[in-house]
Amino acid sequence: MRRDDGVFRELIDDYLVECLPLAERVADGFVELERRRREGASEDGLLASLQGMLHTVKGNSAMMGLAPAQELAHALEDLSALLGRDGAPESEGGGAALLVAGGGLLVEQVRAAAEGGDPGRTAEFVAQVHAFAARTSEPTVPLGRRGGERRSAPETRPEGAANVVRVDFRRLDAMLEVLGEGLIEHSAVVEAFRRVARRGGAGEEIGDLDRAIVAMEKTMKRLEAVVMETRLLPISTVFGRFPRQLRDIAHSQRKRVRLVVSGGETSLDKAVLDRLGEPLLHLLNNAVVHGIEDPDERLRAGKPEEGTLELSAASQSGRVIIHLTDDGRGLDETKILAEAESLGLDVRSADPARIRALIFLPGFSTAAQVSQLAGRGVGLDVVAGSIRGLGGTIEVESRPGRGVTFVLDLPLTLAVVRSLIVEVDRERYAVPISQVAETVRTEPEAMRQINGRGVTLWRGDLIPVSDGGALLGTGGRPAAPRRFFVVISSGGRRRGVLVDRLMGHQDVVVKGLDRTLGRPEMVSGTTILGDGRVACILDAARILEREVPA
Amino acid sequence: MSGGGFARELHLLTFALDREEYGVPVGQVREVIRVSEITRVPHAPAHVRGVTNLRGRILPVVEIRTRLGLQPAAITGRSRIVVVEVHDRVLGILVDAVLQVTKVPLESVTPPPAEVVSPGSDFIGGVARASSRLVMLLELEKALPPPDTELSP
Repeated sequence: MRRDDGVFRELIDDYLVECLPLAERVADGFVELERRRREGASEDGLLASLQGMLHTVKGNSAMMGLAPAQELAHALEDLSALLGRDGAPESEGGGAALLVAGGGLLVEQVRAAAEGGDPGRTAEFVAQVHAFAARTSEPTVPLGRRGGERRSAPETRPEGAANVVRVDFRRLDAMLEVLGEGLIEHSAVVEAFRRVARRGGAGEEIGDLDRAIVAMEKTMKRLEAVVMETRLLPISTVFGRFPRQLRDIAHSQRKRVRLVVSGGETSLDKAVLDRLGEPLLHLLNNAVVHGIEDPDERLRAGKPEEGTLELSAASQSGRVIIHLTDDGRGLDETKILAEAESLGLDVRSADPARIRALIFLPGFSTAAQVSQLAGRGVGLDVVAGSIRGLGGTIEVESRPGRGVTFVLDLPLTLAVVRSLIVEVDRERYAVPISQVAETVRTEPEAMRQINGRGVTLWRGDLIPVSDGGALLGTGGRPAAPRRFFVVISSGGRRRGVLVDRLMGHQDVVVKGLDRTLGRPEMVSGTTILGDGRVACILDAARILEREVPA
Repeated sequence: MSGGGFARELHLLTFALDREEYGVPVGQVREVIRVSEITRVPHAPAHVRGVTNLRGRILPVVEIRTRLGLQPAAITGRSRIVVVEVHDRVLGILVDAVLQVTKVPLESVTPPPAEVVSPGSDFIGGVARASSRLVMLLELEKALPPPDTELSP
C-alpha cells in the first residue's frame, strides 16, 4: 500500500477522525488519574474506560499497519491493567507518571500517522513499561501476550457513530456563502416590496405577497439556524488539549497546578474555535508562569500548595462567555501605574477598570521588568488582539493576593452579526449590537465641551462624544445638528458617536475586507444591505482606542 | 519575425480617462459593469475609491485616475467599472467611459518619450498608434502593486 494512494489517504483520515480524539482523551485521562492518585481521590472506573479507548486505538492502528502506535497502545493497556489491579502497587510517582508520558506519546504517534512518520521513542517507552512491570510484584496479566476476552473494557466507539457523516468543512463554508446571498436577496425583495406597498400598489395581491414574504423570512431564519448549527462544535475540542499542555508548563516551572474545566459542551462555530485555542493557551501559560506562586510562597500565604486554574464556558444570549480564573497573586496595580507613567501615559484620573485594561496595551509587553514583576504583561496585547479579531472582548478582574479572572465574551459565529444600521452624511454603517450600549436622541444643550472636545452626561457619567462624520472622514460638517448618538462600548471604555439616522437592527452577513483596502482602522468587515449597497461594519474596540478628536 | 504562430497584434479593451485613450489587454479583463453605488471605506488607501456589490461579492474599486496624476473621477452616465485580474486579485477600475475592443499591430507600439516618464509613474508600457489615435498601454501590474506594498501617493 503506497502512502500517497488516495484510498489509503481516506482510510488514514478516517483513522485520525476516530483515534485522535480517543488518544487525546486517554492522555487527558492519565493526567487526571495521576492527580486523583496523588490526592487519594476516588478513581471511579476511570482506568477501565481508558482501557476501552486504548483497545480501540490498538485495534485500528493494527488494521492500518501502524505498528508503533499499536505497540504503544498495547503497552499502555498492559500498564493500565497492572495499575488497575486490586492491591496494585501504589504508583509512588512511577506508574502514573509513566502513563502520562505514554499518553502524550500516543497522541504524537496517532497524529504522526497522518504524515506517515514515526516520532520514535516507542521502543524505549515499551522497555520502560517492561522494567516497571518487573520492578513491581509479578504481574497477573502477562505482558505482551494476552489472549482471550477482556472483562471490564468494552470497545469504545464515538457516540451515535451510525448517524454521523464526515463533511469537508469547506462545504459548510460554501453553504454559508450561498445562505448569505439568499439572505441578502431576501432583504432586497423586502425593500422592493415596501416601495411598491408605499405607492399603494396592486390591491389585494399585496396582502398575498406580504404573507409570502413573511413566510419566506421565517424559512430563511430557520435555514440560517440549521446551517449555523452544523458549524458548531463543543468548546471541549479546544479545552481538551489543555490539561496535558498545562501539566508540561507547570512541570517546567516547578509549580503544581490543577485545571478545573466546566462547560465544555458549550458550542461555538468551528471558525471561531480554530482561532481560540492559541490565545487561551497563552492566558493559561501566563497564569502558570506569572500568576500562580511557587509552592513555598503559596504555603506561606496560607494557600494550598497546588494552584488551581478554573476554565469555564457558558452560553449567554447568543454569545459565549469564557472565564479563566487563577488563585495566584493577582495584579499589582501600583506597579501597573508606575509602568504606565514610565510609558508616558496619563493615568492620574483613571478608574481601576482602566488601569487593569492597561495590561492589554502593546507597550506593556516589552517595556520593562515591571510587568514581569507585576505578574502579567507578556504578549497580552497579542491575546487581546486575537480576541478582538474574533469580534470578542476581553476584560480582567483582579483580587490582590487571591488571583485574577479573565473574562472573554465571544460571538457564537463570525458569519452573521446582529447590527445596528446607522447613517452618517448619507453613508450607512453597521455597528455590532454587542458593542452598542445605547442609542440616544441628541439634546443640543446636553452636548458640552472640554478642551474643545465634546462630552455629555450619560447614565451619570461624563463620556466623550465624537462626530461620526469627522471620525469616519465623510468630509464636510453636517448642515444640521446630528439627531442621535450611539454609545459604543468595549473593554470598559465608552464613547458617544453622533449620527444622522438610526436605520434599525439587522442580521448582517459578514464579508471580509479585501487586502486592496489596506487595513483600515475602525472597519472590521463589510456587508451587503437589503438595497444591494455595501456597508462597512464598524469596529468599536478600535474606535475607542483612538484619541478623541477636537 | 514573419508568419510565426505568435500574435502580432495586441487585443485591447480601451477606455477614456480625461481626454486620453488607455488600453489594457483583453485577457486581463473579466467584465465591464455599470457603476452602481460605490461605498467609501473610511481610512482606506488614497487610490481606493471604495467597494461595490458585484452579484453578492465585494469588489474593491480603484481610482486609477489618481494613480495617473489626474483628479478623482466624477461619475457620469458613461462611467464604467472595468473588472480586471491583477496579481491574482479581482479589482474594479473606475474609468470615464469604455471606448472599444480593438486590435493594434505590435509594430505600432513605441515606448513613451523618456521626458514624460518619471520614476514611480512608469505605468505606461508603450503607446500604440492606430490610424490617428494614440492608445496608452496601461500596465496594471505596476499601477496596482500587490497589497502590503507601500504606494507613493
